[in-house]
Amino acid sequence: MSNSPILEVRNISKSFTLHNIDGRNVSALHDVSFAVHPGEHVSLAGSSGAGKSTLLRLIYRTYSITSGEVNFRLVNDEWVDIAQLSDAEVIAIRGREIGYVSQFLRAQPRRSVIDLVSKAGVSRGMSPADAREQAGISLGRLGIAPSLWDVHTSVLSGGEKQRVNIAAGLISPPRLLLLDEPVSALDPENRERAIEVIADLSKQGVAVLAVFHDLDAISRLASRIILMARGQVVTDGPVDQVLPQLTPGDVQP
Amino acid sequence: MTLIHVPAPVLQVRNLGKYYGNFDADMIGRTGPEHGTARDPLSGSIVAAWDVNFEVAAGEALGIVGESGSGKSTVLRCIAGDIEASTGDVRLAPLEDGTVNILDLDPSSRRRLRVDTLSVVYQDPAEGLSMGVTAGGNIADPLTAAGWRNFGAIRERAQELLLRTEVPLDRMDDIVRNFSGGMRQRVQIARALANKPPILLLDEPTTGLDASVASGVLDLIRNLLEELQVAAVVVSHDFGVIEMLTERCLVMQHGRVVEDALTDQLLEDPHHPYSQKLVAAART
Repeated sequence: MSNSPILEVRNISKSFTLHNIDGRNVSALHDVSFAVHPGEHVSLAGSSGAGKSTLLRLIYRTYSITSGEVNFRLVNDEWVDIAQLSDAEVIAIRGREIGYVSQFLRAQPRRSVIDLVSKAGVSRGMSPADAREQAGISLGRLGIAPSLWDVHTSVLSGGEKQRVNIAAGLISPPRLLLLDEPVSALDPENRERAIEVIADLSKQGVAVLAVFHDLDAISRLASRIILMARGQVVTDGPVDQVLPQLTPGDVQP
Repeated sequence: MTLIHVPAPVLQVRNLGKYYGNFDADMIGRTGPEHGTARDPLSGSIVAAWDVNFEVAAGEALGIVGESGSGKSTVLRCIAGDIEASTGDVRLAPLEDGTVNILDLDPSSRRRLRVDTLSVVYQDPAEGLSMGVTAGGNIADPLTAAGWRNFGAIRERAQELLLRTEVPLDRMDDIVRNFSGGMRQRVQIARALANKPPILLLDEPTTGLDASVASGVLDLIRNLLEELQVAAVVVSHDFGVIEMLTERCLVMQHGRVVEDALTDQLLEDPHHPYSQKLVAAART
């Protein structure tokens, strides 16, 4: 683990103003601070509505940030506050420096599985030939048989789509990966495969911030756990300290 | 902020405005979202679009969403030159390095831009095509306007474009009036791309098509935008289209931009009351 963090979240809060429900203000996250280092795998735990997915979306700027800083160290070691970036700047670092993998495959046009995954690699600077080779390796590791590589993603099952999504998100991985329940819809065998692939990220020095639905995945992947409740951080510590405090209710969606 | 490299804009729009009727400076303050109308109650003039600003880079698509009458098509048509803007500054990087405001150009120079610099795909193919002319002839038009003279080369380029837009080549010599709606739209796209324009404006490109046909045309547009690296503006009332094609977008209401955001942010965390209403309606 390098000494300098890649992500430093400082005092971020998020509230939604619902104009169509009498202008009600709903607080989703309050005064959250933490840092993530390269090679570290930080799991977010907490019951439903604790703010785990909200936090990931704020860092990716799918949600705008109400207050606080999301400081990110670029590949050239310069720091930027994601909360202050222009939309065009966010687009420029998305995918290349910060990845987001959710349980759902975003709507894609008719495109083959191998093209979809290769294209993700190319967008992160790989040569087309390398990307295609690496895409094949990743898909194989995730149990997507070569007979499926040339079909359009629209005909895949939910579990297959999810694994293609993981392959695309993790090929030539960005330096910070946000994972939102990436293995939730997988059968046990494919879940094992996906967990192994995610575990490898940490060995490659990728910083991972993830939400999982089960204690087993957390115990095997996380180096640190941040336990959240009602939009705030309750505990932040090494996995062996925090894991015993968790209950099954802390890993609900 | 110069730490992050952002591609240079190809299309730059500043303070674009269009009104109908007599101008009165105060009418701007009497119209817009907070007044619930684009029509000035005193003068009766219509402020169809006002104070519109954005830029688009190569390989990027910007969406403009809003209901009918919001001004989104007015903006597109002012840029295209179909209607005359009342005010504003529109620059295209390929034209004199972006030093010329195209709104100041004479009509013939303006039309010339449509040949190879800036193309439009309309909702109604009849606006972008000559309906009584063959598919091949429609594509030959912009090619001859750009100086192509060799018949064989023109046919070859037309075939290439029809192939790319998935129009069966045996329909090349059929009159487009006899084509289905989806096929007409594909021919219109082929024609728009004939001279590889760096800027493409799409006005409700799939509206009015059957759902399955629309999704095929949408796939085609998305693949083309990615492949050709054009700077695109997509006007649509349909969030499905905006989500599929764009990464950033503007929301317009009563002639004004009420929100500009990353497209995923607009869908997940819309701020303006009107955006929230539109997104909620699209999600049910």
